[in-house]
Order: sequence, then C-alpha cells, then structure tokens
Amino acid sequence: MNYVFQFQEVFAAWPELLRGAWLTISLSAGAMALGLVVAVFGALGKTMGPKPVRWLVDVYVEVIRNTPFLIQIFIIFFGLPRLGIQLSANQAALIAMVVNVGAYATEIVRAGIETIHKGQIEAGLALGLRPLQVFRHVVVFPALRTVYPALCSQFILLMLTSSVVSAISAEDLTGVANNIQSQTFRSFEIYLVVTALYLGLSLAFSAAFAGIWRVVFARQDRR
Amino acid sequence: MSLKTFVNRARRSLLALGLGAVIAGALAGPAAAAGIDDIVSKKKLQVGVLVDVPPFGMTNANNEPEGYDVDVARLMAKYLGVELELVPVTGPNRIPFLLTNKVDVLIATFGITPERAKQVQFAIPYSSFDVVLLAPKAKAIGAAKDLKGVKVGVARASTQDTAVTAMAPQGTQIMRFDDDATTMQALLSGQIDAIGVTTLIARQIQEMNPAAEYEAKFVLRRQPNGIAMRRGDADLLQWVNTFIYFIKNNGELDAIHQKWLGKPLGELPVF
Repeated sequence: MNYVFQFQEVFAAWPELLRGAWLTISLSAGAMALGLVVAVFGALGKTMGPKPVRWLVDVYVEVIRNTPFLIQIFIIFFGLPRLGIQLSANQAALIAMVVNVGAYATEIVRAGIETIHKGQIEAGLALGLRPLQVFRHVVVFPALRTVYPALCSQFILLMLTSSVVSAISAEDLTGVANNIQSQTFRSFEIYLVVTALYLGLSLAFSAAFAGIWRVVFARQDRR
Repeated sequence: MSLKTFVNRARRSLLALGLGAVIAGALAGPAAAAGIDDIVSKKKLQVGVLVDVPPFGMTNANNEPEGYDVDVARLMAKYLGVELELVPVTGPNRIPFLLTNKVDVLIATFGITPERAKQVQFAIPYSSFDVVLLAPKAKAIGAAKDLKGVKVGVARASTQDTAVTAMAPQGTQIMRFDDDATTMQALLSGQIDAIGVTTLIARQIQEMNPAAEYEAKFVLRRQPNGIAMRRGDADLLQWVNTFIYFIKNNGELDAIHQKWLGKPLGELPVF
C-alpha cells in the first residue's frame, strides 16, 4: 500500500489554522514584550541589587531554566486554581511563557550588562547624569544592543516552545493542528502544513526583529 | 541582524522546507501493510497499546503495560506463535505510529468510526463501553442542549471528543487536552465544569473524590472498539477477525472481560 497525500481536508480548515497561528503570534509577541521587561529588571537586580535580591533572581533563573516548560505550565494551570487563582488556558499559557522566557532572557541581558565597563558608568555619573539616566543610556541600551542577536534567537525559541501550550487546551497552532488531525487523521499532511506555517512565523518574527534593529539600534552606527 | 542575513536565512529556510517535504514524501511513501507472513517471519508482533485508559490499558507497578488490551495482545501473539512487543501509544499519536510502521496493529481501545476507517482498517469489535458526560451533581445538565456556556473537557482525538463536538450546541466551550488523565486533572482543579469520559474512568473519578459528588448526566455514545491495522492487507484483517471470532467462542475473551471488568462480556456487535 502506498500512502496517498490528501491535502484538501487540511486546507479546508484554513480559518481554524489562521486562528491558531494568530494565537501563537499574539501569545509569543506578548510574552516577548513582557519577558523583556522581566529580564531587564531581573538582570538589574542580579547585577546591581542588594544581596537578597540577587539571591532571589538566582533562584528564579535556576528553577525555571532547570525544569521543563510543560511542568511549569501544568503547575500554573492546574496548581494555581487550588490556591484560588482561576486562569483561562490562554492566560495561563501567557504567564507561563513570560515566566519561562523571562528567566532565560535575564541571563542574556545580565551578560550584556556585564560587558559595560565600570568606568563608563562612572563617566556618566561624572558628566552629571542622574543614576536613572545612566542606567538607561549607558547600561541598558548598549547592553541590549550587544546581546540583541542572542535575545532574538531566544525569542524565536520561545515561539517554537509555545507549541506546548496545547497541552492545557489552548488552541494555538499546534492545538488546532492536533484537532484537525484528530478529525481527519491526515497526520502527515497537517504536520507538513504546520511545519511550513511555523517556519513562516519564524521568518516573520526574524524580519520584525531585523526591522526593530534598524529603527532602534542601527541609527547609532551612523552617528 | 541585518537585512542581508535575514534574506539569506529566508532563502536557506525555504530550501530546507522543500528538502523536508521531499524527505517526508519519501519516508511516508512505503507505509507497507504488515502481512501475516511478515509478522510470522520476523517472529515478532508489535502492538500499540494505550496506557492511560484503565482497565483496558495502564501500567503496573513495574511500569509495564497491562490490562484488557494487553491480554488480548498476548492472546494474539500466542495464536500467531510469535513474540509480543508492546509499544505504548497515546490517543493523538496512535494513527501516525501505525502508518509509519512502528507497530503492526493497534489494540488501543480504538473506537470504530467511519472517519477513522478512511485511514486504517478495523477488525470486528473485541471490547465495548459507554461514554458519558460527568459533572458535579449541582450542575443542572439533563441533555446536550444544556451544555451552552458550560466548559466541557475531553481528551483530544478520543471518541468522546467527536461525540461532544457533534452534540454540543453553539456556545459550548469544548476544551481539548492530550489525554484522559490531564482532562481529569482539569475537572478536579475546577478548570472545566464537565468531562466526557468512559464509564470506567467516571467510576474512578467518583471513587477518588466522593466529596465532589460527580454524577453521569447522560450517555454520549456506546463505543465498540476494534483492533486496527494499516489499510490494504485483507489477509491480516481476515486473520484478526477469525481470531476474535475464535476467542469469543472459546471463552478466552470472556475470561479477560471477567478479569478486568468483573462481569461477563455480553453481546458485541459485528460487521
């Protein structure tokens, strides 16, 4: 028997695929933005905060980076309701993704901040910049610029990892794909299509990151 | 990342995708049927079983599969005169496992439906049970039409999934999880209001949580299960049908039913 590819049932479900892809995009973009905020504060706490804060950030980063994402998401979705915090599948997915990417990005941003020479910070202060201004212009901005490529690949990884959220019934691209697969049993076809979609999403995010680089960071080169 | 590196990456990705499609096509191509002769000559029968649907398929204390399905698989290997290799599969991945030749047959509490029969071929039923909608006593649900606005959890790709999807009115929130265990967890943690499960799992949930007062609201469908194999091998199908007919008649299937479900087999439909 030879396997006969039949794509029509898969393509017939394109509105659902589109909705799934959109959820993947919005969850990922949201988690990237919020995760970056977490990362900047985490890295700040780890490099410049008092001892207890450093210790807290260390615990956060190590716990998240050394446990599987699936378990983290299960704990948030199934565990929190026992404490009286009821979250929908999408909310739980977003929180899990922010917590997860925040830990990885904290380490990346920390590495960036450590490339800033102490002398530069002192120079900034000597020039009369206020500490917050020094932090913004001398520390964070150049640090993010240095680690930008690493951050981008971490964010792409996050988008791909988000395929796990279907385990808590979030209807992301993978969730929709599994639904279509369970209705049509056209597994090869649907997984091929979804692979192409994920690849397209990765490229789209890469393009967006390239655009952000040009707008935010590349201008400095010309100065 | 500059525009140039992006364009380069895009080009490489497209190339990779094309290559991937070719390889997938090549791999998927020979989904060869496992004939009886093949199974006999390799002296091994590979059977896909579920391990999350007690008492049909579950793992024992030694982490080995056991249950109704496993006993049927043992009998099948015995009558073929070959060694048995059990391969644990899940609801969503069992058809891919079968179609990619990772198993010869599925004895995986696999409900017989026409949609599934487009992809695999079924032998006559060897087991059957009811699928019900379970919810707390306090929830007023009498029939499918009351499900509006209710969060109903099901295991993705299961027959309860298709049954609930077909019966539920507009506005029902159907939430699909990867297996019965996760769906059960969602019910216990209050993430869903009701669950579509087999009567066996329903009984288990009730016994584990007497305080929550779960009750079966209505029967979604009766599910007769069949042994599934790749399409196109009439020989193997004929053999499996003969095998089931034989163990139904000589009482061996009834003994398995008694052992795991504590009551006689009763009448199974045939086709």
